[in-house]
Amino acid sequence: MENMLQFDIDAFWIILTGTLVAVSASLLGVFLILRKMSMIGDAISHAVLPGIVIAFLLTNSSSQIPMIIGASLVGVLATFLIESLHRKSKLQTDASIGIIFTFLFAVGIILVSQYTGQVDLDQECVLYGEIAFVPLDRWVTASGIDLGPRNIWTLGACCLAIIATIIIGYKGLYLTTFDQTFAASLGISTVAWHYTLMTGVSLTTVVSFESVGAILVVAFLIVPASTAYLLTDDLKIMLILAALIGFLSVLSGYYVAVYLDASIAACMALMSGVFFAIAFLFSPGYGIAFKGRRAKMGLQKDYSQQL
Amino acid sequence: MSRIQRCQRYFLILFSVAVLFVGCKSVDKASQSDKLYIVTTTGMIADGIRNICGDAAEVVPLMGSGIDPHYYKATQSDLEKLRKADIIFYNGLLLEGKMTAIFEKLAKTKAVFAVSNNLSKDQIRQDPQNPGVSDPHIWFDVSLWSSCMSYAANLLVEKDPANEAIYKANAEQYLGDLKELHVRTKNKISEIPDSQRVLITTHDAFGYFGRAYDMEVHGLQGISTVSDIGLADIKEMTEMIISRNIKAVFVESSVSDRDINAVISGCKEKGHQLKLGGVLYADAMGEDGTVEGTYIGMVNSNVDKIVNALK
Repeated sequence: MENMLQFDIDAFWIILTGTLVAVSASLLGVFLILRKMSMIGDAISHAVLPGIVIAFLLTNSSSQIPMIIGASLVGVLATFLIESLHRKSKLQTDASIGIIFTFLFAVGIILVSQYTGQVDLDQECVLYGEIAFVPLDRWVTASGIDLGPRNIWTLGACCLAIIATIIIGYKGLYLTTFDQTFAASLGISTVAWHYTLMTGVSLTTVVSFESVGAILVVAFLIVPASTAYLLTDDLKIMLILAALIGFLSVLSGYYVAVYLDASIAACMALMSGVFFAIAFLFSPGYGIAFKGRRAKMGLQKDYSQQL
Repeated sequence: MSRIQRCQRYFLILFSVAVLFVGCKSVDKASQSDKLYIVTTTGMIADGIRNICGDAAEVVPLMGSGIDPHYYKATQSDLEKLRKADIIFYNGLLLEGKMTAIFEKLAKTKAVFAVSNNLSKDQIRQDPQNPGVSDPHIWFDVSLWSSCMSYAANLLVEKDPANEAIYKANAEQYLGDLKELHVRTKNKISEIPDSQRVLITTHDAFGYFGRAYDMEVHGLQGISTVSDIGLADIKEMTEMIISRNIKAVFVESSVSDRDINAVISGCKEKGHQLKLGGVLYADAMGEDGTVEGTYIGMVNSNVDKIVNALK
């Protein structure tokens, strides 16, 4: 038996796909955590159902493009409803998230039961993608040129847009996240930045759901950012750390999946949990392993010296 | 600032090193044989193709024994199987959900076929509410499944002419077995008195079965087409069972039996003894190595349970 080392292009595409999802989701996750809106990804994963059903009823097919458009529109709508409910009614954000996503999900279920009959129509079946098959889903032009996996292009564009928005809008996002009154006094619109962020979140989640399924996206919106939150007090470092932890989860998760021959997305999500556990135990600032020492030094989380 | 720049630099270095490693895997060159390597989605297709190929090809299903297509999760090795496959057979009619789109794309560069491809429009059950949406559970009409397998056998001959004789001989044998199975099923079901020929199950997999063998089929989740069953549905179903004096209802493998138990206890309260006729194989076959782990064994097992409970 002769073994040789060979460049494995499939593994490369899968890890690249995972990394693009991880970086977009982790960066957005940092802002979501600081704004106490972490569960928004989970909410969107349920709220998109009516979008899918309406797209199906309008086109009478469950082909991909109408499904994605329907899901994206309802995803954006959901975040807008959540925010206006929170603003107008002075409800906590978690309560508004709960109200809106259960409402939209319920509308979706009623639409399914009333109009679609025997069609197997839910997110799992028509929207959620499978990361293992990303390398097979090529984008081939009309003239027959193979441009590589289709999802790499959509996720890549999405990831670049998120990074660009954060770099360009860093000051606005930062101020509106930590000190809304101060931001308003400088003439920065908290509402505008909030909606920018939320549009980014809903588009990223829907595009990522379509490529890699829900569990990975929901995990990456919350876990890497939470891990970074335990490790640093500096927003910039927190953003970089979150993206890095996301990437490491993808990389290690992929090899765990290969070793166990298990679901790749689940293993990546699992590894993000492992990294969180390590930070939770050993973080110099918050880890329970150093609790005694920290108490002596009187360390506290402080964001006030960052700008 | 320098802390951040340092972080960024580490990130870049780590990323590039990782990408270099990622690209490599150990490949065992010697294990590639000349045999045709055939990948199927469901176990039912794999079983049929195995019967047709005998030892001439290696047949591997993506969804192992007992795995319902609804709950199938792909693994890394599934991707390798699809890559390695000389021929891929899938069910079609959207049984495979989103994977269908990938198969359709792969078909441009690879030998990828839906076994339901050659069925005519009126052979396929359409959803009355949504014309254009088909019922994918074709394997429960044995004659229909037999024409799917004959289609697959012709494709095998076309793709691997060297083994033509083997495929043709095996296919003749297997299609003969299926014909026998079809006749047996028909005869068995006709033993049930006309008024009792009602098949009540938890899900919606038996539409083709009902059409082919003249049974009225009711799915608990399909009565009012509500995705989740309501109390009114259970009441309605209970009343129908009592008024028509139906003896048994059935559970499908991989679907929860909670709702059907509610119907059974509802009937009991009103003094009608309703039995649980047993667990029917629906979207997946039994364990490998058992009789129910083959297509023919699975159909026979279902038919025997139905006939015994309703006769």
